[in-house]
Amino acid sequence: MQHKIWRPLGLLSPALSAVFLLLVVPVCFVVVYSFWLRAPTGADIPAFQFGNYAKFFEDFFYPSILIRTIRVALETTVICVLMGYIPAYFFYKTETKHKSFLLLLVMLPFWISFIIRTMSWVNILGDTGLFNHLLIKFGILDSPLALLYNEGSVILGLVQYLLPFMILNVYVSLEGIDKSLTEAATSLGCTEWQAFKEVTLPLSLPGLSAGCLLVFVLTAGTYLSPMILGGPGNDMIANLIFKRVIGTLDWPFGSAISVILLGILSIIVFTYNRYLGIAQIFKSMQ
Amino acid sequence: MKKITGWSLIRLYTIFVYVFMFAPIVAVILLSFNPEQFGSFPMKGFSFKWYIKLAQNHDILMAFKNSLILGSLTAVVVTVIGILAAIAFIRYEFPGKNALNTLLLAPIMIPEVILGVALLLFIRWLQQPKSFLLLLIGHVVITLPFVLLVVQARLVGIKREYEEAALSLGASPIQTFKEITLPLLTPAILAGMLFAFTISFDDVTATLFWSTASMQTVPVKIFGMLRNSVSPEINALGTVMLVLTISTPLLAGYLVRKFSRET
Amino acid sequence: MSKDLGKKIDSVFERYKNGDLSRRDFLKFVSITGAAVGLAGGPFGGLTSNAWAAKSIRFDGWGGTTSEAFRKHAFQPFTKATGVKVIDGEFGDMDTYLTRVKASFPPGGEFNLAHLSGLFDYARYVGLDLQVALDESKIPNLKNAMSAMTKPYRAITKGKLSAVPYDYGQTGIAYNTKHISKDKAEKLGASLLWDKDLNKKLGAFGDWRTNIWYAALHTGQNPNDIKDLKAVWNALKEQRKMMKKYWGSGAELMSLLANEEIYATTAWSGRVAALQAQKHPIAFLSPKNCYSWQECIFVMKGSNLDDAQKLLDFMLAPEAAIAVAIGQKYPPSLDPTKVPMPEEVKKLPAFDPTGKLEGYLFADPTYWNAKQLEWAEKWDRIKAGG
Repeated sequence: MQHKIWRPLGLLSPALSAVFLLLVVPVCFVVVYSFWLRAPTGADIPAFQFGNYAKFFEDFFYPSILIRTIRVALETTVICVLMGYIPAYFFYKTETKHKSFLLLLVMLPFWISFIIRTMSWVNILGDTGLFNHLLIKFGILDSPLALLYNEGSVILGLVQYLLPFMILNVYVSLEGIDKSLTEAATSLGCTEWQAFKEVTLPLSLPGLSAGCLLVFVLTAGTYLSPMILGGPGNDMIANLIFKRVIGTLDWPFGSAISVILLGILSIIVFTYNRYLGIAQIFKSMQ
Repeated sequence: MKKITGWSLIRLYTIFVYVFMFAPIVAVILLSFNPEQFGSFPMKGFSFKWYIKLAQNHDILMAFKNSLILGSLTAVVVTVIGILAAIAFIRYEFPGKNALNTLLLAPIMIPEVILGVALLLFIRWLQQPKSFLLLLIGHVVITLPFVLLVVQARLVGIKREYEEAALSLGASPIQTFKEITLPLLTPAILAGMLFAFTISFDDVTATLFWSTASMQTVPVKIFGMLRNSVSPEINALGTVMLVLTISTPLLAGYLVRKFSRET
Repeated sequence: MSKDLGKKIDSVFERYKNGDLSRRDFLKFVSITGAAVGLAGGPFGGLTSNAWAAKSIRFDGWGGTTSEAFRKHAFQPFTKATGVKVIDGEFGDMDTYLTRVKASFPPGGEFNLAHLSGLFDYARYVGLDLQVALDESKIPNLKNAMSAMTKPYRAITKGKLSAVPYDYGQTGIAYNTKHISKDKAEKLGASLLWDKDLNKKLGAFGDWRTNIWYAALHTGQNPNDIKDLKAVWNALKEQRKMMKKYWGSGAELMSLLANEEIYATTAWSGRVAALQAQKHPIAFLSPKNCYSWQECIFVMKGSNLDDAQKLLDFMLAPEAAIAVAIGQKYPPSLDPTKVPMPEEVKKLPAFDPTGKLEGYLFADPTYWNAKQLEWAEKWDRIKAGG
């Protein structure tokens, strides 16, 4: 009976020890730091006080940015689902010989550095960018549309970056579905749509939920996209952490914001694992 | 009839998504041929000047080599670790499973700035200098959630019965894994490796903190260029990589077909 | 030889002072655990290489053309002359670099020389106790540097120097001459950035200091002694409504101006010079009390001073300094009345032919550093629209 505990722990041990050493222990430092004080010179003073946390909640400024971050993360996730599921389904169903090549194309944007890719939206959506250039040339518009530097352009940049993760996660899950199941369903009189709804969609949920989790959490921690594509009011929580930790060397306060963010994300991920997660879906499938 | 319209809509939609994903890529490729540093459309000419400069830029090419090495090693290591962990989570029941699963996803929940600084504080406390190994393991930790999520999602779909059948026929657990589970996992493994490679290859923030002076990667170089201006050589480098990635499988396919016809 | 030994004894003593014993035990524990779970010593195997073993010195600076010029004109000849290798690092930006230095082991120990922003960062590094006292007699080329540039450093480090001044520039105003006339720009000065005609065509460097500085100029105050802070915040709130983009890097600045996303912005003189060299219709305006700054090569505590001073001398040699200046488009710290400057340098914006830097207003480091925490946060709130 005992091997039942030891075997999974043995399998987990490389991952756990790497994460423990390079993440858990360093994060303990962050937690300790979040109680410290900062001297005006930039030196840190060891202390145990909750001033940094109190400062976060003293008025509506920081919480409102946190709320905005979560909202943007949700919006990005929904858009990624809408834009990612159908192409993944296409790859699953298509009978073309070039399927693997088409899949490879999905990952191609990664050869161009994220910073470059994000900055190149200026060349597409800017006042003199490709999009406005074409619209004006064909007489659809008189003056360029202001498409850049708002929440929309931040989300656009994020979706472009994160979509491959969603598509591949869903695809890998779909690929595992036995095609004879849908064939059986249609032969039993189901329409194509019913077969999809009753068989394919539920069986692809593990991949879809994994993709959602990835997109949501990655968006919540992003700072480069709002920095490059955002306007004056589009900073997200990671931008503030970056400014506090790097800009003003205020590690104690930066640490406190990070602990708060980490706490919220952990609750979300834990709840997800508990009620919506892969193991849960697995159980409902049996 | 209805089937055909539905299917063509799906195809059309997929093409639309591809266009969206490749829009900035196309801009980057076009601008790598722009003789001027700051392109706006319409372009004012066509030149290979940035490609020539890139070929002479030893510094960027070295960084590129570093990025490739780091990305490949990360992909291999993290995939092995990730598969083991995914098996533990999907195939076994044990106390604290949810908490551990959450813990292994934590690397993407902490902003990289914080992770970067925290790890530096930790190795300072241990009084250890930075090294390539540290950078590699750091990248393994960052990419672990990507591999873990995709492999778990696939593993859930692989029926337990297949494995049990093999076991009951007298195969050892390792044989069963090799003959049954692994082939079924292949798409997820490939996707995971691809994720890990690209994330590691493209990581800026954490790498900036962890890399040693002799181990600069391309994104770190680009970050350094931001103060003055990013040279279109970087666009040229990306274009070269795109062309290689697209042409290699096409060329391989063509050669295979050609040789099979001849023999 | 004796120097190395001394250093090792120092480091052993440091470790002893820090109560290292328990940490070593911890490390052992970690290694054993790591080996047990198959990591073969975890991330710490093979990490024991001695940081001081190789005869080398580290320099961190801006990448790209700046690094290329340093490598060719200073590092290679230096290595040839002394046999000491220069490890050439790059920092992403000033603040990230300071964070890395602060978190390195021992604080600053991994790093030796760095191309830092003058005064402000010099004071911050001194505040973190990372300074040394340079022996100026070992850096003969320092005599060619403008004394107006060394003076403020001496004021911070009590007459001594922990850095040599290297280049200077201004954060002035860049404007597109196709859309804004020269007369108008010069008449308005700093207030051009509050011009209602430029609604949604304005940009600014996102840094809190630059914005507060220009708001002080706009409200007719001395930036180094702001009396009416409320007027400054109100001016910034008003300006924010017209702002298209607060940029964060020179690359963004150049692309915003070149693509005509914005017509006017606060701008770094060197970047405007680079745009002008590429024939973009961008002019540089240096209003009264324009934000001037300088950069230095800072030497960090724990560095081998002999080597560092020799390297500084190579870097201050006119060939190296001028090549770097042309590469990054900021004028060198060398006094143009003592060292003849080529035409390319003389044409750079912010270049001062007199070598006295009169009328260049630098940020007072004590004043600004003391306000940093409070003002940076207030600025974040205004920027976010609060």
